[in-house]
Amino acid sequence: MARVAITELSKLYDGGGEPAVKDLSLTVGNGEFMVLLGPSGCGKSSVLRMIAGLEPITSGKIAIDGEIVNEIPAKDRDIAMVFQSYALYPHMDVFNNLAFGLRRRGIAKTEIERRVQGAASKLGLLPFLKRKPHALSGGQRQRVALGRAIVREPKVFLFDEPLSNLDAALRVSMRNELIRQQREMGITAIYVTHDQVEAMTMGHRICIMNKGEVIQIGKPLEVYRNPANTFVARFLGNPPMNLIPTSVEPDGGAYQLRVGGMSLPTDCWPAETLSRLGGKALLGIRPEDLYETAQRPDERRRIAIARAHVIAVEPLGAETLIILSLEGAAEEVTMRSGRETRLRPGDNATIELDLAAAHLFDPKTAQVIPPVHEEREARWAKAE
Amino acid sequence: MKPPSAVEPSAAKGIAYLRGAPLMAFALIYTIVSGGPFLWVAMMSLRTTPEIFASPYALPSSIHWEKFVDAWTKSNYGTYFWNSTIVVVTAVALLTVIGAMVAHCLARYRFRGNRLVRFVILSGMILPPQLMILSLFQILLEYHLYNTLTGLIIVYVAGHLAITVYILEGFFAQIPQDLFDAARLDGYSDLEIFWRITLPIGVPALFTTVTLNFIILWNEFLYAVVLLTEDDKRTLPLGIMHFMGNHQLDVGMVATGLMIAIGPVILLYAFFSETMIRGMTAGAVR
Repeated sequence: MARVAITELSKLYDGGGEPAVKDLSLTVGNGEFMVLLGPSGCGKSSVLRMIAGLEPITSGKIAIDGEIVNEIPAKDRDIAMVFQSYALYPHMDVFNNLAFGLRRRGIAKTEIERRVQGAASKLGLLPFLKRKPHALSGGQRQRVALGRAIVREPKVFLFDEPLSNLDAALRVSMRNELIRQQREMGITAIYVTHDQVEAMTMGHRICIMNKGEVIQIGKPLEVYRNPANTFVARFLGNPPMNLIPTSVEPDGGAYQLRVGGMSLPTDCWPAETLSRLGGKALLGIRPEDLYETAQRPDERRRIAIARAHVIAVEPLGAETLIILSLEGAAEEVTMRSGRETRLRPGDNATIELDLAAAHLFDPKTAQVIPPVHEEREARWAKAE
Repeated sequence: MKPPSAVEPSAAKGIAYLRGAPLMAFALIYTIVSGGPFLWVAMMSLRTTPEIFASPYALPSSIHWEKFVDAWTKSNYGTYFWNSTIVVVTAVALLTVIGAMVAHCLARYRFRGNRLVRFVILSGMILPPQLMILSLFQILLEYHLYNTLTGLIIVYVAGHLAITVYILEGFFAQIPQDLFDAARLDGYSDLEIFWRITLPIGVPALFTTVTLNFIILWNEFLYAVVLLTEDDKRTLPLGIMHFMGNHQLDVGMVATGLMIAIGPVILLYAFFSETMIRGMTAGAVR
């Protein structure tokens, strides 16, 4: 168990260009499961490799349990890593793959035997101990890779997209397996993925990265509900949050949002901030916060009514996605509806927007405009 | 009426044979050209010189196995065989270890000047041996290595390092980097990773270089004839010269000597040709 503290970490690869990681600071607590989430090429794997010691650090500090490890070689950091390719040694059987790291550490033979047997039985690998990796299925290989990390009982686990080579069903079961093992052992884990479902379900906290920078850190639902900017709003959630361009117009002492022919009240946001927007804002609203009339739960109070035209209906089985264009607005929006919907492409519909769940972003900075707090808190309190 | 399906397969077979015909013809000619002389020498090795002169291409009328015993006992063949074994086994062992290390470094590490190092090493492949023989002779004299097996071993190692590195590097470069990273995190140093990961995974490629180097060096003549002059230092290919006097040529005994010299190579190739071809064509195990 260990605490990993990263301070102003940067990485510039040979050949110049933009740094892969820029001034990244992050603390992962003892026994915490931290997920680094971002699109490919956002620098998350570079961060992981620097923590592991596989990649030299350009600037900044990495400390494990208070000890700065910048100059400590990978082999002495007591970190275990699970790779996307599994990286099993092809010339060794499963037993030796698991024991390889223990032998180096001068652990007694009986103890190695005990630990390997223990990990193998935990992961259901006992029947395969004498097999070579090429004779294993993808899921079994993944288990061996995980087992190799577990037997070491390291200070920190690192995972580099370990599930992305598995098929969908196996991925779900391995995900749960991984969560269970980490929670049981209580070993600090840092997990890199571009899969938001993994991030939402596995992590105690998520660190969202883009272009080498940290965009937002927080608990999964917290980040989902309160995205810090339009990048997070679009990146988390499937389908992503609708971002509708609106104009902010003065209305007496207050402001109004105009979307096409519709006017929306702005009392969720401080008037003072709205005045600085220069007349334009992006209204962010998740597909599940749009309702077909009469399907909305009663407790939603801050409702705006809009007229829309149905462009497409996508039934997904458990739910239906409805693509709409709001009257007088160019943007398409996606609404998440129930299993049954009466709407058909070409229909004109009246839909309801839950304004209490909406977000407003500054189009110039892409940052969220903090709402008036009581409104938001009350809403979530009710929802939970 | 015959169903059409009964006709078509045989017709298709005929076409397939026709398509294969040029290839078969080529393979046949190639086999005759390369195997014919070998068979001829093999037959001559069992006939006496007068028999050969009487009818060069005839099959053996009576088989003279005793010529092999004569060749071994009446000349210095025991010594030549032993010398060849020492030189070739040592050189191949050194080539394998040094070549694998160089190939591992070139395939695995990015260091300043690595492209220059690779170029210099691999350029050894394009230099013909005749070009270097004078300077090598001079250098070996200077270092008192002329007329020694050690000198010949050093020359062999230097001369064959390029092709060894070339074959091994191609193979090692395909071993996924993740394996090396995993071994580092498992606590192993770079040298241990070379011994415990690169070498065992690279066995097919190592087989290839061992077989290839063994065959070429076992038959090597040019360097040996220039750099070794004393009779008890000579290697097998030179031993055959024993049967070639200044004024007469004992063709039958030369053929017998050749067959003795070629024996180990044939054996090695028979056992390892499959592995060798696999090593040259296959990638690393994923």
